[in-house]
Amino acid sequence: MFGSARKLKVVSTTLLAALVAVVASCGVGQPPSQGGGGGGEGPAKVCMMPKLVGIPYFNASEKGAEEAAKELDVELVYDGPTEAKAALQSQMIEQFIQQQCGAITVAANDPNALAPAMKKAGEAGIATGAWDADVAPDARDIFVNQATFQAIGYEVVDVMAEQTDGKGEFLVVTGSLTAPNQVAWLKEMRERMKEKYPDMSIASVEPGEEDLQLGIDITKNYLRAHPDTAGVFGITSVALPGAAEAVEQAGLEGKVAVTGLSTPSEMRPYLNSGAVEKFVLWNPVDLGYLAVYVANAQIEGNMPKSGTFEAGRLGKVKMLAEDEVLLGPPLVFSKENIDEYDF
Amino acid sequence: MSEARAPAERGGAGGVSLRRLLRRPEAPALVFLVVLVAAFTLANDRFLQVGNLESILASVAVLGVIALAVNQVILCGEIDISTGSMLGLCAVAAGAVATSAGGLLLPLLAGVAMGALAGAVNGFLVTVGRIPSIIVTLGMLYALRGVILLVTGGTWITGIPNETRVLGIGKVFGLGYPVIVLLLLFVVMELVSRHSTWGRNVFAVGGNRRAARFAGLPIDRVRFLAFVLVGVFVGIASVIYMGRAGSVQTNTGAGLELQVVAAVVIGGTSISGGRGSPLAALTGAVLIGVILNGLVLLGVPGIWQDAVLGGLILLAITTDVLRRRLVGDKA
Amino acid sequence: MSAATAVLRRLRFSREVVLLGVLIALVVVMTLLDPLFLSPTTLLNTSRFFVEVGLMALGMTLIIITGGIDLSVGSNLGLVSVAVGFSYAAGLPLPLAILFGLVVGVAAGFFNSVFITFLDLHPLVVTLGTFALFQGLAYGLSNADAVSDFPAWFAYFGQAYLGPVPGQLILFVVAVAVVWVILSRTSFGRYVYAIGNNEEAARFSGVPIRRVKIALYSGTGLLVAMAAVIYTSRVYTARADTGLGLELGVISAVVLGGASIYGGSGTIGGTVLGVLIIATLQNGLILAGVPSTWQLFILGVLLLVAVFLNEFFRKSEE
Repeated sequence: MFGSARKLKVVSTTLLAALVAVVASCGVGQPPSQGGGGGGEGPAKVCMMPKLVGIPYFNASEKGAEEAAKELDVELVYDGPTEAKAALQSQMIEQFIQQQCGAITVAANDPNALAPAMKKAGEAGIATGAWDADVAPDARDIFVNQATFQAIGYEVVDVMAEQTDGKGEFLVVTGSLTAPNQVAWLKEMRERMKEKYPDMSIASVEPGEEDLQLGIDITKNYLRAHPDTAGVFGITSVALPGAAEAVEQAGLEGKVAVTGLSTPSEMRPYLNSGAVEKFVLWNPVDLGYLAVYVANAQIEGNMPKSGTFEAGRLGKVKMLAEDEVLLGPPLVFSKENIDEYDF
Repeated sequence: MSEARAPAERGGAGGVSLRRLLRRPEAPALVFLVVLVAAFTLANDRFLQVGNLESILASVAVLGVIALAVNQVILCGEIDISTGSMLGLCAVAAGAVATSAGGLLLPLLAGVAMGALAGAVNGFLVTVGRIPSIIVTLGMLYALRGVILLVTGGTWITGIPNETRVLGIGKVFGLGYPVIVLLLLFVVMELVSRHSTWGRNVFAVGGNRRAARFAGLPIDRVRFLAFVLVGVFVGIASVIYMGRAGSVQTNTGAGLELQVVAAVVIGGTSISGGRGSPLAALTGAVLIGVILNGLVLLGVPGIWQDAVLGGLILLAITTDVLRRRLVGDKA
Repeated sequence: MSAATAVLRRLRFSREVVLLGVLIALVVVMTLLDPLFLSPTTLLNTSRFFVEVGLMALGMTLIIITGGIDLSVGSNLGLVSVAVGFSYAAGLPLPLAILFGLVVGVAAGFFNSVFITFLDLHPLVVTLGTFALFQGLAYGLSNADAVSDFPAWFAYFGQAYLGPVPGQLILFVVAVAVVWVILSRTSFGRYVYAIGNNEEAARFSGVPIRRVKIALYSGTGLLVAMAAVIYTSRVYTARADTGLGLELGVISAVVLGGASIYGGSGTIGGTVLGVLIIATLQNGLILAGVPSTWQLFILGVLLLVAVFLNEFFRKSEE
């Protein structure tokens, strides 16, 4: 019995120490953080957080961010939670603060939930910003906007109107019913219909919760229950392929129009099959690129207050306000131009 | 264990009495299913259309196939809550092979192999590692999801060739392949469960492990095989899923493990082991599909789904206990 | 007999000593990867993140010692968060809303205990059902929305400091002390171990099993509710998905701390060390720049390794 007590201690210490060593080796390749907050020696450090990691849209913005980081010679930390939850982001922001970032910029899952953490960052002398989805304006210094809600909402409706003669009842599949940017797009879509296409109306809005199979099932069930639906809007990068897949499986390509917001890589098969003629987005690679340029300018202290902002290969981008930079108008993708993009 | 002998008894005694039928573990679920179908049909006559029914069955095919296998795990006294992440991982494996090699057989083999491997890890940790299955499969649920993220780097697998998607969207005589596969596997499991040594051992091990050990049954092997079976069936299900969805997301299968356990338990299989059948798993899966479909037709917002599922699980296990006390089962 | 007792006492010391050694080793490694890790500010900040899991782990320890389990703690946290936030948004004064939240948490725990004690149902499947039920109720009642405009003083729970020490850390220390006293110095604590070691024997010796279990699950519900208030205050938002996935960390901490999942053994000290180890690991990994995609994997593996070691060495003790 005496022997097994010692054996317990030795072997379990060894095994647990081995675990620790394996884990530690994951971090060995990373350079240790240095310098004070907001400047100091060493390259500037930009810490960028997407809504979540693991979807093509945010992988694309990471590519752009890395491109900009290389051009500007800044250190980039791009990380986010594995689920689109504001609570997880809030915790990560606090950890970013501890990592001594020069600037923190975040795509917010909830504008108010992240406010306390971002304000803390600001008080620690870190430049704060948001991109893709804003936080509460008093919690960040600047917002990098991809396209105005109005431009997006109007463009999507215009594309649909082209295919349906400006008439009909439509289903909208969204992500969640409360995501602020999705809510804003819906509002603009309704306004566009009211003022320019009075014969178009939105019959129903269903949340697809960023689940592909759910989006497919929702669309299929809806189309079966409402056979004279003129078209389906899928306004998130998961909802649109889901809607297109549903229309294809139901054999309704060409009869039910499908459009919305998503990435070329997800939509390519549907453009080829004809389920979708055109869809809308902006360039997330460019968005990530711009966000890093802006963060860097914040760190160096030479962010303009109005007019235009010079951002590398994007040239001059417009400043909508002292605290808002605009990437540009939305992009419309179709069979003709889709092969120019690889995100 | 008395339930496992019931089928033989039934054949011997002259005819099936209603009481004995109602004593079968699947009875409450089946009755509930019939009542529910009737109620939904009255509320919305579009419910009973062939297209809608076939769509319900197709949508629960993935759930049902996995439930048939998890049913065996629960029958032998264990549990498996890693199936959601397992589905994602198998889909990734199958999808990777599909986009590079095409066809149906190779991706199917890849998915099944990956599933069998994961199931074997589960089984190994439970039998040799002596770790309770709830912990093993909880840990695997998270570890496997992490593996999926690491391996795919967050990119989806798109562009699954049409020949691979056959099991998901193909049809034969108007009946979708998912339904065919589900019913086929159901028949297989019914046969295996009642007539194979392993199948009968599963009941024995789950009903009374100590007695089974004294009787010399290979407890560890019985349980190990059950976990591997889950992996195999998850692999098959992943090809069906991939066929229906057309691409593989990184969060494929998230939350599925709860629905699977719910299906098994709601269908009538007892969580303590030893009582139940493949019919219970199938009934439970169909019941869940009917309920979720019915909720949509009734216009109930999707956010209440989890609450309904949870409530159903509690209702099912409560009814089982009350039923046993009323009927005076010794089991 | 006394030689055996001496060895047994050494064995029990062994487990906590090993854990302490692992914790120190981890802190050393993390500091090597990031020199700022060991600064008092960083350490104190790290402590803010583990208080919620820690509080829940205290209750979970007692439950696991009796051989039970509670998978619904994460969902319960979300439900309480929604209860507090949305009753406040509906017009209830915030102090009452917080009280309402605490009541909801206890009620949820009590709800669990009813199924487990009166109906004799297995805690695993009961709490699996309530895991879904509570989460679903939280989503449904909040309509998947969030409440954020709390008055400034609400931040006190999750973001206040007493000098350099975060407020919730003090609360946690108090809670640890209270639960430790209950478990190791009261007859209630002895009942808990008795039930875990052999429930039948405990019943025959007159242990009020039903009452103990009801107290355990309801008490855990109270701890969950407290954690929910702190968490909601920390992120300044009441949402349904607040506690999603936390049950893994809670169970991992308890099991890592030495409690057997079959019941009968476990200590508060071990659990606290388990909580600290996991928190150090999680925070340290992020500070070292390890992408969060590795975290899921590492946590899952950690749970498996911890339980394996626990059970493997428990066998060799016998």
